[in-house]
Amino acid sequence: MNIGIVDFLVASALLFAIGFFGVLLRRNTLVVYMCLELMLNAVNLALVAFSRFNGTMDGNIFVFFIITVAAAEVAVGLAIIVTLFRRRETVQLPDLNLLRH
Amino acid sequence: MNDTLSPFKEIAASNQWSAILPEISLGVLALALLVLEILFPRHRRKLIPGVAIFGQLLVLFWLLLFYRDGGGFLGQETFAGMLFHDELGQAMRVFFLLTSLLVGYLGTITLAGKPLPKVEFYHITLVVTAALMLLAQSNHFVMFFISLETVTVGFYVLVSYFRHQSISLEAGLKYLILSGVSSAILLFGIALLYGIGGSPLLAGASDDAMNFGALNAFLKNHPENGLALIGMVMVIAGVAFKIAAFPFQIWVPDVYQGASTPVTAFLAVGSKAAGFAVLLTLVLKVFQPMEAVLVPVLTVLATLTILFGNIAALTQRNTKRLMGLSGVAHAGYLLVGVIASLYVPWAQGAVLFYLFVYLLASFAVFGVMAHLSPEDGTGDELEDYLNLARDRPFLAVVLVIGLGSLAGIPPLAGFIGKVLIFIAAFQAGLYWLLGVSIFGVVLSIYYYFGWIKTAVFREWKVAPDDEDEQEAPRREHREIAPLARLILGGLAVATVVLGFFQGPLSDWLGRL
Repeated sequence: MNIGIVDFLVASALLFAIGFFGVLLRRNTLVVYMCLELMLNAVNLALVAFSRFNGTMDGNIFVFFIITVAAAEVAVGLAIIVTLFRRRETVQLPDLNLLRH
Repeated sequence: MNDTLSPFKEIAASNQWSAILPEISLGVLALALLVLEILFPRHRRKLIPGVAIFGQLLVLFWLLLFYRDGGGFLGQETFAGMLFHDELGQAMRVFFLLTSLLVGYLGTITLAGKPLPKVEFYHITLVVTAALMLLAQSNHFVMFFISLETVTVGFYVLVSYFRHQSISLEAGLKYLILSGVSSAILLFGIALLYGIGGSPLLAGASDDAMNFGALNAFLKNHPENGLALIGMVMVIAGVAFKIAAFPFQIWVPDVYQGASTPVTAFLAVGSKAAGFAVLLTLVLKVFQPMEAVLVPVLTVLATLTILFGNIAALTQRNTKRLMGLSGVAHAGYLLVGVIASLYVPWAQGAVLFYLFVYLLASFAVFGVMAHLSPEDGTGDELEDYLNLARDRPFLAVVLVIGLGSLAGIPPLAGFIGKVLIFIAAFQAGLYWLLGVSIFGVVLSIYYYFGWIKTAVFREWKVAPDDEDEQEAPRREHREIAPLARLILGGLAVATVVLGFFQGPLSDWLGRL
């Protein structure tokens, strides 16, 4: 069996969809955060597959940038979540409802 | 041997560092602030915000006086096609510097007396400003994404900066999650465009499909490719989050309310303007061949944005949420200008003029907010503005001019900004959008004037027994520093003057 570009793209789109609906439906902030990372990794998979298929290196190099940016996002994001947990003692999204008009 | 090395030599020759001197100087200034904090003795550290603001003033004057031609790089690509320098980028550099200066000034008011690190606020503001400048000049999707994320991660920190308040942290978390989703959508769009643009199966595929020019050339040959269309819509969706267009505006009210006033102003003006600079570049230089799909998408986006922003703002009692939702409506008018710029070239200048006017008026209003409620999370309700004209007439005048300009009342500058966009839309034949915009402006007068009425007119109540007790208590009198009078007054005067006399600004923008 031959694994082609279409298979990679389908897998990538599925991963992206899982991440997207995870962000929408899950209640725990940390799980939501993992779903965000899943979406970024779905993009990475698509970029690497395209890069191989197109025969250019741009996609591979872009992946390194995305990984770096994701690490920076996690560093800041986890800091916010930890500080919020210290103040509110919860990371469940329905409990974080101070901002209502 | 020479042949293999020559591409590298070409790339190395295109690394013209003098083309990004403003950004470099801001970055150096940002680092210098951190060094100064270590070097200065404790009692001198109060000077550091002054150093930041003075340094930015120097960069601004240098940019206006000696760097007007972009160091001689206007109309050129540098850094192997990563950046493209044009008049739009030059105007946005000035715009972001002004924004950053005013944010820094509001920061000195809001941060005073708080148990928070102060230097880092200016450091992050400077880094974000430099990234905003690069974003407006990016010419390649990698550069675009990196500068966009530098801006976004900086804003995560800024929004949740007031970490002794749960409300600020919660706003930071909401911004983090929603912005993360929008980045991922944007990235998936970029991946699709890269995959299609460089695909060996299609004629005219490019080696460098993430470059805006190369992608545009490819899309001219394949304007109806399905995957490329999906990619285009996803990229537009990612940018729509930045400009807070419907349906990507859900973060706006909560984040604006939770963030402190300077950060809210930065988001409302800087982040939004960056979104529009990028959108202008993308629409005019990259996706223009896909007009057949692009225009309907943007038209629906603009219609819904104008209607939603205005209708949702009608019932708001919190001033920051009100500013946020009315900002959504302004994004809608600006989108109309962006669509018009596809048909009428000068509409690009109209969008920029509107952005500058929006900057002046918004900072006038946010400045008044910062002066009225230095403690965050309190004093943001409409009721807190009762009898403002009686107690603090200067602030009330600035507020009325700012809100009047946002509402588009002649003869203030906001009126001219709206008229220019509407004329452009008329010339482009966008009659539907023109009608929706005018309807939106009429709606917006209701909530802007509700705010003005609360602030200016004395509250009347039916007196049950004693008349003297009906007089609302006076605010404690706070002196407004001369500098604050100068800055707020300057914003108000500029708003009035630009309403009568647009010559210099429109000349400058007209060259775009």
